[in-house]
Amino acid sequence: MDFTFTDDQLAFRDSVGSMLENEVTTASIRERWTGDSGENGDMLNMLNEMGMNSLLVPESCGGLGMDLVDFVLLADACGKAALPESIVEDAVVAGGLLSDLLASGQHTDQVQELLGGVAAGDIRVGCAHIINPYSNFAHRKDWMLLANGNDVHLVPKSDLKFTALKSVDPSRRLQKVDWAPSRKTRVAEGEVGAGLQRATLNRGALAAAAQLLGLAQAMVQQAVDYSATREQFGKAIGTNQAVKHLMADCAVQIEFAKPVVYRAAYTVGVAPQRADWAVSHAKTAAGSAAELSARNATQVHGAMGYTWECDLHIWVKRAWALAKEWGDAGFHKNRIHEWLLQPNALLGPEFTFGKRYIDHSDSAAA
Amino acid sequence: MKLTFSAEDEQFRQEVANWLANNLCGDFEPIRFRGGPGDEHSFVAERKAWEKKLAEGGWTAIGWPKEYGGRGCSIEQQVIFNEEYARAGGPGRMGHIGETLVGPTLIAYGTGEQKEKYLPGIRAGKDLWCQGYSEPSAGSDLANVKTKAQFDEASKQWLLNGQKVWTSLAHESQFCFVVARTDPASTGQKGLGFFLVDMDQPGVTIRPIPQLTGTAEFNEVFFDDAVCSAGDIVGAPGDGWRVAMALLGFERGVSTLGQQMLFQSELDDIVKIAKENGAANDPSIRQRLADAHIGLRIMRYNSMRMMSGGEDGSLQKEAMIYKLYWASWHRNLGKLAMDVLGPESELLTDAPYELNRLQSLFLFTRADTIYGGTNQIQRNLIAERALGMPREPRGTV
Repeated sequence: MDFTFTDDQLAFRDSVGSMLENEVTTASIRERWTGDSGENGDMLNMLNEMGMNSLLVPESCGGLGMDLVDFVLLADACGKAALPESIVEDAVVAGGLLSDLLASGQHTDQVQELLGGVAAGDIRVGCAHIINPYSNFAHRKDWMLLANGNDVHLVPKSDLKFTALKSVDPSRRLQKVDWAPSRKTRVAEGEVGAGLQRATLNRGALAAAAQLLGLAQAMVQQAVDYSATREQFGKAIGTNQAVKHLMADCAVQIEFAKPVVYRAAYTVGVAPQRADWAVSHAKTAAGSAAELSARNATQVHGAMGYTWECDLHIWVKRAWALAKEWGDAGFHKNRIHEWLLQPNALLGPEFTFGKRYIDHSDSAAA
Repeated sequence: MKLTFSAEDEQFRQEVANWLANNLCGDFEPIRFRGGPGDEHSFVAERKAWEKKLAEGGWTAIGWPKEYGGRGCSIEQQVIFNEEYARAGGPGRMGHIGETLVGPTLIAYGTGEQKEKYLPGIRAGKDLWCQGYSEPSAGSDLANVKTKAQFDEASKQWLLNGQKVWTSLAHESQFCFVVARTDPASTGQKGLGFFLVDMDQPGVTIRPIPQLTGTAEFNEVFFDDAVCSAGDIVGAPGDGWRVAMALLGFERGVSTLGQQMLFQSELDDIVKIAKENGAANDPSIRQRLADAHIGLRIMRYNSMRMMSGGEDGSLQKEAMIYKLYWASWHRNLGKLAMDVLGPESELLTDAPYELNRLQSLFLFTRADTIYGGTNQIQRNLIAERALGMPREPRGTV
């Protein structure tokens, strides 16, 4: 039993984290709000150079062949920086689905070529799922992985019609994607397709959960800093218990959500067929921590936190959006109780962690 | 205890409803349910015209005594008016600060000259007012006001210098009531004055503050040798805190009942959408809808209880619990609205940043727990003033 990360994983997190801290200034985020694409080309290049695109791409396709445990801290760092670019979703969700397609032997040549292009930073692939009616930055992708019933389609940009929609979070560029499914674009169908979509939902929710953790920590840090400098009644407002407790409540939720998210990342890797409840737990815990942090950090900032000028709302609005994307709290709690209340649920201590949980073959109890 | 309205009051209700039905229509149709917190920037010209329309019908300042142009309505009748106004979709009042705060304060503390000078303009729906209390260093700690008022012997008038902030509707107002320090050596609640300041003068600069809603209904107001005539101080120099606090007592009066009707209409909207889009099938949403309904009824009963016996509109001890309760309830309602809307809650209806009614509700209710005394300050007030617990120590910085 070991919840720690390796030195390599931590070093990777630190180097990505410090690059983001230096480059993703709030001024640069606000510049993206007024730009046409909403993206920063230099940032996309830097992320690619650091290996973010190729992290989950198999080594056989020129990628780093790492897993979600390796990625979870990087997603956290992206959340902390409120990075507008959709690198986490691209790498984890689209990259994950492409890798799954390769592993299942579907359309191997085409998928292999795309994965190679993704790893090299030449091709951008996005992925939509029925749970999200709108897709962030879809118009910036060369290919989109799309669902139609159980089928999965891989569709080139030229066959897609985009309708841009405005998000409450100005960093997000939502698109409604219209397209016509055809046999030509279909890459998986039936049971295989349904399984891939389920895995996609889990990776998407996990990616959102990890970013929510980062967002939550960044919001609390800003509020803690503000509470030390803002004075009322002749003292820093942070000296008041009422203000301290707002922040302490967030810290408790955030810290308790961390191992839940890490566990989900691990489970998605080793027992993807049983990952639903672990992912739903992660999304619920991280979403709730981030929503509380958004609320309390705004409260600590007082009226200042309610202004457009104060940077806090960059994080707050992202937290609101990600808490809903890839299934909101209601959806994920329903998945948990469906699992918990089934007659043969695997609930004993021997299933909480470890081999019996991973190896257990009773798929009905998954 | 008698939980009914009299026959006379029911008749009054009919009169109000009829007048609104016959007048809040035609040119005024588009402003129904518009304006108010989060939507103050909408239909400003039309809502100013509506103020005058209300005044012509005798529906401004209905709680003021008849001798000052009011209707001398009882508390019950004011409640009824606010209920019917909200039910009819009456737009967010632009004259509410003058009518519910300045008017009662001047009637209680103003000179004859001040009453004559200011009350008719408010009553006519012509003069709009804003509130000059908060400053960059005086938020929760309101008494830490730094704006200075110095009496200039040569011109026989007051000169104001300093800055106010979070001033709602300053850019639309003719006048502002300003708390400023008349004794430069004083600190805290002592040495303050309460001034009635004309906003249309070179010494006053107004700068809107864009909010995270994308709109700007708050402002910064700068006073640079802004003038205020000798007769426009309410109470004596040094007596400003008492006047300023009395004014806040009027703030939490009967208008809360109208606010609850607005809340009801928001909740009705949310229930309707939940039924339409299937969110009502979600057990957790159903529970929260029931909680919202329960909370709103609690507020309504409690407000009626607070009004009972308080004929002079004065703030009773029970009133201290109200701000904390409604602000938290309303904030939760905003969150519920977003959860009922699901993914659609993220979409703006229009460029560049146009929020729909429920998005405005959600975003603006994040300010509900801050303005007019944060939840934290409210809890301290309840603990210290209602329960008599020891006071939170103050710093010395």
